[in-house]
Amino acid sequence: MTAEPAILVQDVHKTFRGGVQALRGVSMRVDRGEIFGLLGPNGAGKSTLVRILMCVIRATKVQGHVLGNPVGHIPTLRRVGYLPEHHRFPPYLTANQLLHYFGGLEGMPRSQRRPRIAELLERTGMRAWATKKVGSFSKGMQQRVGLAQALLHDPDLLLLDEPTDGVDPVGRREIRQLLLQLRDEGRTILVNSHILAELEPLCTQVAILVKGTLAREGRMAELTAGNQQWTLTCSGLPPAWLEEIAGLKCHNHADGVELTMAGDAAETMQQVLDRVRSEGRTVTSLRQSGETLEDLFMRSLDESAHADAAVPGAVTGKRQA
Amino acid sequence: MIAILAILHESWLSLRARGIFKITMGLNVLVIVLFMSVSFSDTGVNVFFGLGHIEHEYVNLHTPWARVVYLSIFTTFIVNLWLAWIAAGLALLSTSSIVPDFLSQGAVELTLSRPVSRTTIFLCKYAGGLLFVIVQVSVFSLGAFIAAGWRIGVWDPALFLAVPLVTLFYSYLFCVNVLAGVITRSTLTALIITLAFWFVIFAVRWSERIVTEVTFQEEVHIERLEKKIAGADENSPKIEDWTLRLEQSKEMRLTLQAWQGPLETARVFLPETAATVDLLKRAVDQSQPATIEDIMSGRLFETDEDERRPHEIAQERREERDRNISGWWIVLKSLIFEAVILSLAVWIFRRRDY
Repeated sequence: MTAEPAILVQDVHKTFRGGVQALRGVSMRVDRGEIFGLLGPNGAGKSTLVRILMCVIRATKVQGHVLGNPVGHIPTLRRVGYLPEHHRFPPYLTANQLLHYFGGLEGMPRSQRRPRIAELLERTGMRAWATKKVGSFSKGMQQRVGLAQALLHDPDLLLLDEPTDGVDPVGRREIRQLLLQLRDEGRTILVNSHILAELEPLCTQVAILVKGTLAREGRMAELTAGNQQWTLTCSGLPPAWLEEIAGLKCHNHADGVELTMAGDAAETMQQVLDRVRSEGRTVTSLRQSGETLEDLFMRSLDESAHADAAVPGAVTGKRQA
Repeated sequence: MIAILAILHESWLSLRARGIFKITMGLNVLVIVLFMSVSFSDTGVNVFFGLGHIEHEYVNLHTPWARVVYLSIFTTFIVNLWLAWIAAGLALLSTSSIVPDFLSQGAVELTLSRPVSRTTIFLCKYAGGLLFVIVQVSVFSLGAFIAAGWRIGVWDPALFLAVPLVTLFYSYLFCVNVLAGVITRSTLTALIITLAFWFVIFAVRWSERIVTEVTFQEEVHIERLEKKIAGADENSPKIEDWTLRLEQSKEMRLTLQAWQGPLETARVFLPETAATVDLLKRAVDQSQPATIEDIMSGRLFETDEDERRPHEIAQERREERDRNISGWWIVLKSLIFEAVILSLAVWIFRRRDY
C-alpha cells in the first residue's frame, strides 16, 4: 500500500459530558484508494469516530492524520466529502439550491458549481428533481442528493454514514456501483453501515468497533481466511471410517450426510471424496466456503461479550455508550 | 467570502419560506397604504383617501403643522408602535427557530463539516436572522419615503435611517435570542427568554422614566414654593404652610433620587431599545419647526411658565434630558452589550459537540 494512509488515527478517546465513554483508545488505518467498512452494533462509537474526523465533535484525546494533516485541521475538510446518518436538509430548498448552498460553503464559485451540480444530479439519478423542494423527497431521494453534496467539491476522501439507508434495492445497487466507480477514480471511501451483506462485496478493509474499542481491523481477505471450510454432501448413512480422518465431521442431511472439514484442507477432501465414491455413494455437492462478514462481525461481538464477562467492570463510565 | 454569501443566501431562502414573513410583509404594506391614505386639505385632514375628513384649525394644507403631523405619524406612531413592537414581535416569532433548527441533530453536521470556521458560521447565521428585519423595514421605509413625498412634498432621506436603527434595536433582542437558542436548543424557551428580557428592559426604562419625571415634578414644586416664599411678606400666614410643603417636596425628592440611582445604573448595562428607535425622531424632527409632542401637549401655544402644570414641565425636562444623551452613547453601549452576549454565544457554539 502507499506509504501515507488517507486516515491514520491512534488512541482516540471520547468521553461525553455525564461520563459516557463513546471511544476508548481506538486506532485505525485507512489506506488510500480503498473502500473501508466501519462496522459495529448500535452505540459502538462508529458515528462518533466519523464526527471526530469531520471536526463536528472534539475528541477527548486523539493522535493522527487525515489526508496528511492533523485531525481537526479545518482546511483539510475541503478535500473530504461527508454524508451523515439521519441528515436533515433544509426542506425549503430545491435540490439545486441545496447543492449550491453546500458548494458555496466549500468555497466553490458559482461558475464552477453549476456544471458540477448538473453532472452530479445526473449521476445520482436526480436530474428530473433538480427544481423540486427537498422537503418533498423520499428518504431514498434525499440519500441520493446527500451523496451528490458529498461529492460536489470532488473530494479525495469520502466518509459515508449509512449511505443506503432508506434506499430501495435498485437504488442500493446503483449506489454500490457508484462507490466502486469512485474507488476506481482513486478516491478513498469510508463506509459506516449496518447492512453487512452490502459492504461485503465492496470493502477491501474493515474495522469492527464494539463498545468503543476496536475489536478487529484489517483486510477482508486476511480476516476471513482463517475460517475456511470444505463441505461435501453425499447419500447414505454416516461413514464408518469417519474417525480415521482427523478433523472430519459429519452431520445428517435430508438426502444423506454432510461431511465438513475446517481450514485449507483440499488434499484431505480429495481422500474423503475417493472413499465416498468407492462406496458407491452419490456426491451431490462439494464446496469451499469462507467466513462471511456477518460471521466475522458476530464472532467479534461474542468475543467482546466474553472479554467483558471475564473482566468485571471492563466498561467504565457512568453509563454505557 | 463565497461561504459567507452562501449562508446569507440560504438564510434569505429560509425566511422567504416562512409564512410569518409573508404575513408581516403584507401587514407592512397595509400600514403603509393607510399612511398614504392620509392627506391634507384647506380645512383639515383627510383620511382613508378622502373617505373621512377631520376639520382642524392648525393642521391643514396652509400651516407648517401638517408636515409635522404627517412625519410624526411615521416616526412616533408607525415606527415606535408598529415596527418596534408588533413587527419586532412577529420577527422574533419567526426567527427564534433559526438557531435551534440549525443546531438540531442531522442538520448541524452538514454545515460544521465544511472548511469554514464555527465563528463565521455562527455570525453569518445571526446576520441571516437580522435579514428579516432589514428587508421588512427597507420596504417599509421606501413606502414611507414615497408617501411623505407624495402627500406633503417632503423627500427626506432621513426616513431611511429607520432601516439601520430598527435593525439595531432588533439585534439587541436577537442576540439574547440566539444565546438562549444555543444554550437550550429550544425555540419556545429561546422565545420566552427573549420576551422576558424585552419586558425587563421595558420595565427598567419606564420605571426610570416615571421616577425621573416625578423627581422633576418635585423640583418644579420646590422652585415655585421657593419663589413664592422669597416674594411673600414675612408675616404672611401662608409662609408656614409653604415652608412645610417645601420640606415635604425636598424629602420626596431625596427619596426619589435614591431610587433613581439604581435604575440609572441598570439602564447603563442594558441595551437602549426604545432610545435607539427614538434616534429616528431626532433625525427627522431636526428639520421640523416643532414635534408632535409639542402640538399634543399644547406647549406650543402656552407661554407663561407659571401657569403650566408641573407634570407637563417635568415631562418636557425629561424629554430634554433624553435628547441631550448622545446618540453615539446610546448605540455604542448597546452594541457593547450585544458584543458581550454574542461573544458568549459564539464561545458556547464553538466549544460544544454536536
